[in-house]
Amino acid sequence: MVNFTVDQIRALMDDVTNVRNMSVIAHVDHGKSTLTDSLVQRAGIISAGKAGEARYTDTRKDEQERGITIKSTAISLYAEMTDEDVKEIEGETNGNKFLINLIDSPGHVDFSSEVTAALRVTDGALVVVDTVEGVCVQTETVLRQSLGERIKPVLIINKVDRAILELQVDKEELYQTFLRTIESVNVVISTYQDQVLGDVQVYPYKGTVAFGSGLHGWAFTIREFATKYAKKFGVDRLKMMQRLWGDNYFNPKSKKWTNKGTDHNGQALERSFNMFVLDPIFKLINTIMNGKTEVARNMVEKLGIQLKGDEKDLEGKQLMKVVMRKFLPAADAMLEMIIIHLPSPVTAQKYRAELLYEGPKDDANCIAIKNCDPKADLMLYVSKMVPTSDKGRFYAFGRVFAGTVKSGMKVRIQGPNYVPGKKEDLFVKAIQRTVLMMGRFVEAIDDCPAGNIVGMVGIDQYLLKSGTLTTSESAYNLKVMKFSVSPVVEVAVDVKNGNDLPKLVEGLKRLSKSDPCVLCYMSPSGEHIVAATGELHLEVCLQDLEQDHAGVPLKVSPPVVSYRETVSTESSKVALSKSPNKHNRIYLKAQPMDAECALAIEDGKIDVRADVKVRARIMADDYGWDVSDARKIWCFGPDGQGPNVVVDQTKAVQYLNEIKDHVNAGFQWATKEGPVIGEQMRGIRYNMLDVTLHADAIHRGAGQIMPTMRRVTFAAMLLAEPKIQEPVFLVEVQCPENAIGGIYSVLNKKRGQIVSEEQRPGTPLFTVKAYLPVNESFGFNGELRQATGGQAFPQMIFDHWATMTGDVTDKTSKAGQIVFDTRKRRGLKEEVPGYEEYYDRL
Amino acid sequence: MLYMIGLGLAYPTDITVRGLEAVKKCKKVFLEAYTSILMAADKESLEQLYGKEVILADRELVESGSDKILEDAKDEDVAFLVVGDVFGATTHTDLVIRARELGIKVECIHNASVMNAVGACGLQLYKFGQAVSIVFFTDSWRPDSFYDKIMENRRIGLHTLLLLDIKVKEPDFKELMKGHLVYEPPRYMSVAQCCEELLEVEEKRKEGAYTPETPCVAVSRLGGATQAFKAATLKQLSEYDAGEPLHSVVMLGHQVHDLELEYLLEFSDDKEAFKAAVAKDQKLFEKEEKEEKTA
Repeated sequence: MVNFTVDQIRALMDDVTNVRNMSVIAHVDHGKSTLTDSLVQRAGIISAGKAGEARYTDTRKDEQERGITIKSTAISLYAEMTDEDVKEIEGETNGNKFLINLIDSPGHVDFSSEVTAALRVTDGALVVVDTVEGVCVQTETVLRQSLGERIKPVLIINKVDRAILELQVDKEELYQTFLRTIESVNVVISTYQDQVLGDVQVYPYKGTVAFGSGLHGWAFTIREFATKYAKKFGVDRLKMMQRLWGDNYFNPKSKKWTNKGTDHNGQALERSFNMFVLDPIFKLINTIMNGKTEVARNMVEKLGIQLKGDEKDLEGKQLMKVVMRKFLPAADAMLEMIIIHLPSPVTAQKYRAELLYEGPKDDANCIAIKNCDPKADLMLYVSKMVPTSDKGRFYAFGRVFAGTVKSGMKVRIQGPNYVPGKKEDLFVKAIQRTVLMMGRFVEAIDDCPAGNIVGMVGIDQYLLKSGTLTTSESAYNLKVMKFSVSPVVEVAVDVKNGNDLPKLVEGLKRLSKSDPCVLCYMSPSGEHIVAATGELHLEVCLQDLEQDHAGVPLKVSPPVVSYRETVSTESSKVALSKSPNKHNRIYLKAQPMDAECALAIEDGKIDVRADVKVRARIMADDYGWDVSDARKIWCFGPDGQGPNVVVDQTKAVQYLNEIKDHVNAGFQWATKEGPVIGEQMRGIRYNMLDVTLHADAIHRGAGQIMPTMRRVTFAAMLLAEPKIQEPVFLVEVQCPENAIGGIYSVLNKKRGQIVSEEQRPGTPLFTVKAYLPVNESFGFNGELRQATGGQAFPQMIFDHWATMTGDVTDKTSKAGQIVFDTRKRRGLKEEVPGYEEYYDRL
Repeated sequence: MLYMIGLGLAYPTDITVRGLEAVKKCKKVFLEAYTSILMAADKESLEQLYGKEVILADRELVESGSDKILEDAKDEDVAFLVVGDVFGATTHTDLVIRARELGIKVECIHNASVMNAVGACGLQLYKFGQAVSIVFFTDSWRPDSFYDKIMENRRIGLHTLLLLDIKVKEPDFKELMKGHLVYEPPRYMSVAQCCEELLEVEEKRKEGAYTPETPCVAVSRLGGATQAFKAATLKQLSEYDAGEPLHSVVMLGHQVHDLELEYLLEFSDDKEAFKAAVAKDQKLFEKEEKEEKTA
């Protein structure tokens, strides 16, 4: 009973003003997938009865088993709106048929990278918040991410049924709960809001907030009720919406509206929201649940709800669900919000273009993106790879920002390291097929115009994880996604049976492709390392690897944490290294980089690939750099984009330009594997003070300069009191009061630091926030469960890198111990090398 | 005592009599095997001639592990053999400095090098300017500072000797950064490739240091049995197959002596055309000279 066809959807794709690309985002277990079901049911793919239980978008077996979403899943929905509704849409619209491309994303913090990938291809976000739990750590993270991508949010407060049925709150309490939740959401929004986006805070009286129960399949907006009451009171609907929220009261005796809570006699008045909106819902639910079926039947009839055949015989909860679903269908409320308040690609790309495109704002491709022009050169961003049923192959999943992508079309496939005009990270290949991604199914389509989301077959071999597809030779990349999480937990994997090794190697490649954030690499000692964002993520990755990608039994080492190497002071003297032929010399000093600056480089606020002058201005204005120093940054490392820099402070050195590339290469090498424990460096500024060069190019080639730059980088770093940094999780635990003691004792044992402890108003629940070193987090869940009798559920998200104070050469300090263990595990010499090892005397 | 001994250009027997005597009395013999190759000899033929083992010294040993060479030279006689002349390739001055620091006596025994043997093409050594090296271009590394030097030479009418890149045993840097030491297969730049790079740089800089019509001489396997010369324009040489390595190129200065030209014509395919090219090239800097005179 699919009520739309692929052809219908394809036709709608051309009417880009009537397309909405949106993601559903929330904290884990706040009900995204369940709400999504309601929408899918409306589009007719699953039967109404199963909505709320099927979790259509949880396509994987383990997702169904664990009851959580692991991978984001896309689905296209078709909807029609009444002419009345269409009128209220800001921006251009054409007719009343709409196409909604929806992406259901995971809520667990370990899978935040999936959310990032989902947000990139959408323009709006439906934020789901649990009535009882309120705004949680992941709600804040995903909201921040979406605003960073200039994505407009609307809010739905979910699980209202729990508040009514389990917590038995009264109407005013429920109103206050709603109010607080909306306020906390708006606090987050206003904190991270982008000026260009304007005011995107959510207000019930503007119709950007819905309330409902995904499980029971009902939801409403103030607008819906305002429509019902506008006629009765004979006022404009917009005015009615204002009246149905906030401090507005209706005096039934005088039939007058007021904003005071009492009438002239001092008698308390009932809030209009409670009276007109909550009251009917409470009455209906309570009547049915209290078994007064006959009374309920009357009410149902009055409300004009039609019950069919056997539905009439239902009782209690089943009846309540059917009635509520017919009274206030969740899909209607959500569709209304999505279509009226979320922007179409045409609207959104106008303000998103400059943020999406790496090249100049006035070049043809950027303008094509701004105009969402289907006739321009193709600009398409592949945000992730989705495994196909054909093992080892992937659909490239992405969004067309300009032009039209067609089956068989020849495109330039530009990886994240592609630089315009060069050939690295570039392939020119044909797209075999374009497909529509529909949850568990894919449907072939011939082409897909700008503004839409699409899947592609045949380019998975040429892209590692993400990238840009274009037909314009001069096109820059669409900006690479920055993830809010880092792969900080790693294990070494090996096969149980030696013959299976090739399968493992192949499997690791596939795993790396299938997940935006997992990191697979070979350690210097030859181990295969899988690094993930947290224990759960790691568990899922290893399971996928063992059962699917490699398909062979594996041995897995205990998890270890990845660290960073940094410095705590300026080099005590100028480091000097000579090239192997002794004719070239580099003089370098290291100094710590401001922590905020390092962070800004990591999360892209300082855009490594931006124009030098623009970047220098930002660094000078916001991070206290000397502007001429900032302009002389030669390179960032590791991987050309890390939070370490080389600043050229040499004066009048001949041929300096000809060694720039080799210096860069040596620097990448050095910053990727530092001298202390072979980890990446972080937050170090290197000042290149002088360089001596041989007069002939052949004597200052890569072989001479690269190793020298690496050595001098090491020497300068070791002269600047090296330190290591460890990753720290922000832990959020919700629990009843009596479990707090247990949480504190576990945290104390594990070097945890309490940040805050708050009671959630209106509930008996406390929220404890704390910093916990990732190193200590293994087994934290289990110990916490034990100490609190299973009442505390932690959420852990990577928060920051903390410099460990101890001397790295002192084995009695915590830092020294880690250094010692790591060096031993990696098969390095036990002692941290002295600077002399990399330093040459004059 | 450390003997630094030049081996000459091609044959095992190119070594001087005094050099051979020194080798014979040395306890250890190192052969520097990365800045050039001896075209008509290998390790075995040298060992046969010297009557003792020859240790091949690659870049790592000479540049990073030179202490090993010097260690032995403290008490005993050690020979360090260099293809061509001892100081033809500048890299070995460092070894002498370090030996001096350690109080080790050094004796140098010279031999022919491309830098003087190139006179075989007929151009006078007196009229050569700065020698330059032409390196293998990569996607991201295309150094062109040699262009300025050629310009300087040509302004005052001097010839330029172009030494071509050879990579006998170079590590693969991409692999090295991953922690594996893998060597690239040996590569020797050809005359054609060198001329293509020259043309590319002129195309980019457009400062007129030379043109595609500028006369040059391709020198191949200098000092060997199949030694060959070819006089032609830069453009023609960019399509010329000079055969087996090693190759060098000389770019003529704009003041070619009559005798030089007469000698060169022997090596050109079309004598009249080459003469014309030389004559035309001589006018390239004429205007500039006139301007200088009037100023």
